[in-house]
Amino acid sequence: MLQNEIIEKIRSGGQAELGVIYEEHRKEFLQWISKEYHCSSDDGKDIYQLTILIFYDNIRQGKLEHLVSSVKTYLFGIGKNIALENMRKEKRYTPINQETWLNEYVADESGQGTDDSFFEFAKKALVKLGQPCQQLIELFYYEKKSIAEIASSMHYKNGETAKNQKCKCMARLRKLFEIEMTKPQNVVNHGY
Amino acid sequence: MATENDILLVEKYFDDELTAVEKEQVMQRVAMDVQFKTLFDQEKVLIRAIRHQGLRENLTFLKTLESNIDQQTPASRSFKWYYLAAALAGTLAIVTFLVNRPDDPQQLFQSYFKPYPNVFEPTVRGTEATTPRAEAFQAYEQGDYAKAAEQLEALYVQHPEPEVLMLLGNTNLMLGHITEAENNFITLNHEYDGLDVPAQWYLSLCYLKRGEVQHARTLLKKIEGTENSYASKAKELLEKLN
Repeated sequence: MLQNEIIEKIRSGGQAELGVIYEEHRKEFLQWISKEYHCSSDDGKDIYQLTILIFYDNIRQGKLEHLVSSVKTYLFGIGKNIALENMRKEKRYTPINQETWLNEYVADESGQGTDDSFFEFAKKALVKLGQPCQQLIELFYYEKKSIAEIASSMHYKNGETAKNQKCKCMARLRKLFEIEMTKPQNVVNHGY
Repeated sequence: MATENDILLVEKYFDDELTAVEKEQVMQRVAMDVQFKTLFDQEKVLIRAIRHQGLRENLTFLKTLESNIDQQTPASRSFKWYYLAAALAGTLAIVTFLVNRPDDPQQLFQSYFKPYPNVFEPTVRGTEATTPRAEAFQAYEQGDYAKAAEQLEALYVQHPEPEVLMLLGNTNLMLGHITEAENNFITLNHEYDGLDVPAQWYLSLCYLKRGEVQHARTLLKKIEGTENSYASKAKELLEKLN
């Protein structure tokens, strides 16, 4: 399969494609990363999983449209950056904490203006939102699916219905977020 | 208090439905209007949480895939065994991706199984788990399913609560312990109230994982007839199974 066909397949597909890519380069990546950075097998796997997540996310977000190198070279480049960034932060080699990494990854892109405690309230609100709203807004904001694609995959009558539903779900999420923020134990002196 | 128009404007901004000029106007208001900035930041943090959730689900998926690869013994990694396993429609998720059939029960299981979120006692970042219950829930949230299984099992013996059983069932499913998961969801469905439909949903996924499509169908039809949020997913899955 051509490199750019892989990108198209991931863009239009889902977790199955993510799994295929994961398996395809796993062995070579793990051998390389343990040799290059002297990390354990488990640490190497942790870095590889994050590498695949970034690759997938870059395609979904439209940051990666065409590959000028092979998928393997691209993945090794991401892996190297993750390992080096982790070493830079920790000043020495330390196993990567995937949970912290994920929090920082989404924090970096949203820039200034958001606060960790608000992020925690937002996560709680999201959990309380329930299905199918959670799935719908995840498809829209994370998977970057179009409204037409969402309407088709979630069996809405048409795009307009899906769009209305998405707006209602976001309105509900805002309300749940406000409830979280105004809970007595969560009320602090903040800007919201 | 934010006006409906402002909410709509902010939503359009983040949904990329504004022109460059309109976006610039929004940024100017963010800089000058404190209330509007609050609304803007709130939307940003909500989208951040949505993206975090999506990334986390995919990470869990990759971890499951990895643990399935890990479960293969060195001998079983040989070429011959690998394809024999595929031919036997084995339970490994890896096979799911090699067998490219859209309605394959294994593949459907992989697409539809998402661990039940810990809505019961979500872990708060920065705080340490101090009780066995909090530790077990934290292990579950962090995707450390081997540890979660051990702790949730012990917890259930001492405190037989439905939420513990729900997470234990999901943990067993994640670990590929289908019989244990099945028993957990059957107990949850029969002996407790409140989590019946989710329990039936996960039980149907256990059947799917085993390839017992007829059993899965029967349960999914039952869920489809409810007004629960799982009804639409059950309907969708049924259509794919038919």
